[in-house]
Amino acid sequence: MGTLVLEGLSKRYGAATAVDRVDLAVAEGELVALLGPSGCGKTTTLRAVAGFVEPSAGRVLIGGRDVTRLPAHARDTGMVFQSYALFPHMSVAGNVGFGLEMRRVGRAERDARIREALRLVRLDHLADRLPRQLSGGQQQRVALARALVVGPAVFLLDEPLSNLDAKLRQEVGLEIRALQKRLGLTTLMVTHDQDEALAMADRLVVMEHGRVLQVGSAEDLYERPASPFVAGFVGRCNLLPGRVEAPGLFRTEGGGALPCGPAPAGPGILALRPERIALAAGPDGPGVPARLSALTYLGALTEYHLDLGTGALVAVAPTPPPEDPRRRLRPGDPVRAEWTPASARVLPPEAPTGESR
Amino acid sequence: MAAFVLPAVLVVAALLVGPMLLLARISLNRYSATDLMVEALSPQNYLAAVADPYYRGVMGTTLAVALLCTGLTLALGFPAAYRLARMESRWKSLVTVMTLIPLLVGNVVRAAGWMGLIGNDGLINAGLQATGLVSGPVRLIYTPGAVVVGTMAVVLPYMILTLASVIESIPRSLEEAAANLGAPALTVFRRVVWPLALPGTVAGCVLVFILCMNTYATAVLLGGPQFKMMAPAVYDQFSKGMNWPFGAALAFILLGATLALTVLGTALLGRRYAR
Repeated sequence: MGTLVLEGLSKRYGAATAVDRVDLAVAEGELVALLGPSGCGKTTTLRAVAGFVEPSAGRVLIGGRDVTRLPAHARDTGMVFQSYALFPHMSVAGNVGFGLEMRRVGRAERDARIREALRLVRLDHLADRLPRQLSGGQQQRVALARALVVGPAVFLLDEPLSNLDAKLRQEVGLEIRALQKRLGLTTLMVTHDQDEALAMADRLVVMEHGRVLQVGSAEDLYERPASPFVAGFVGRCNLLPGRVEAPGLFRTEGGGALPCGPAPAGPGILALRPERIALAAGPDGPGVPARLSALTYLGALTEYHLDLGTGALVAVAPTPPPEDPRRRLRPGDPVRAEWTPASARVLPPEAPTGESR
Repeated sequence: MAAFVLPAVLVVAALLVGPMLLLARISLNRYSATDLMVEALSPQNYLAAVADPYYRGVMGTTLAVALLCTGLTLALGFPAAYRLARMESRWKSLVTVMTLIPLLVGNVVRAAGWMGLIGNDGLINAGLQATGLVSGPVRLIYTPGAVVVGTMAVVLPYMILTLASVIESIPRSLEEAAANLGAPALTVFRRVVWPLALPGTVAGCVLVFILCMNTYATAVLLGGPQFKMMAPAVYDQFSKGMNWPFGAALAFILLGATLALTVLGTALLGRRYAR
């Protein structure tokens, strides 16, 4: 096991920049998730670590050693592919043993390590099967065992849960996380799914247009997003452009006055999580008056779409008990929305993004 | 469904099965210098062909040329097919079409062109003599080498296109996974690409082998009068010798040998990697 360091990693394809000067350090035993929409450069970054993509600039260091110019087969990374990439003509044991064979591990030790790795993913009873005879979840565990058995310096996960159905996803995610922690694997993971990243990673790296926008723990990113993009990408967020007029007072573009947290006067974007909005029925009382434009009953939660007259907000709250007056709210009814000023963060206005700088 | 398949079935029956049956019947007849063909039911023609050292030699040459061409075509075609299959750029379709272009030129036209290139007064010899490297013409045409190279030029596109479509069906990620597990490029090829491409490789080789076994124009025009392969030998019996029964027997021996080797090769390679 070792650390993984990226220094100014860039990848350009002609005029297009897929990865733009990415700096990142993954500590030993840490799981870092690269998170972003498709085309943000996260997969290219992962592939550059594995050695499938040659960087245009920058360095990749594994355990302190510069591997930037090393071919993929000499890098000692263990990758789990999005498609699993199991060898269809080899048995489960053959797949898992392939990396050991390449490392010239003797037959007896190889068999023992294959068995141990398969036991780790609870597939020791299927060693002789062919990949096509396994379910998707089982195939994924074979892919995990195959990458783990060689004891790679860095563990790479490319959208590890995307091919599993929703029910399995959470279970397998937690399983991978437990395994990663137990074995102390230095891990870089790529995902476009924020829930996956929030649940599994020690730290998250939010990327857009090849650049790293913010690095931090799940809580850092959710509670203290540095930009409107991060606020909108990690969890849901109401984003209202406008300006800070006075301490604690935000004027939206539509002219509405909303309470906000401490921020310097000037243009900004108000970021307010839907679940931080407390809703009260009726027109009179404290809070920002609004009209309910739509509501969606989601079982445990109810989603309220509010029309402030000067803009729109989405609020999400636990569905109130049946006797609560809010249960009788219908579209068009007057309501009041309230939040603590600190929950409404003012973020710098979105800088124009894209290829141009 | 039957209505869709029927026309093709009828065409095959009328144009292939019918004549074949007729030819099979002819091969059992007897040749007479005066009457040309006499009704009979005897394996005499087959026995004569197999016993004749001349025709054994022709068959040997045919097999050697076909096997050599198939092997060389595979060796040359695989890397090209791999490259084509793994192309990602917009040039891919253009390169695919360019691979097909040689098929637009008929074998006779192509072989005639080769004659102009490698003949004693051809372009290559003219060039060589102009540089003063050689005093007289170097014999290129009317050699087995000319036939092998000429035949390969005909069959290479078939091999490349067959292999490319098979290699394309092998996900790139499998090669990446093998490399990721520590396999150098050659090992990736040996352990992943080759075994997975094998069914298609067998198909490509069978196709090319059959084409090579039946090569006619290239053998006649580039091999010259001394060089004999089976397809020209069959033609000679029908046109020059007017010995239809013997020609028919030769045709079926050629067909049988081609079929036997095809089945044998497929079975051997198929068994080796079947699981």
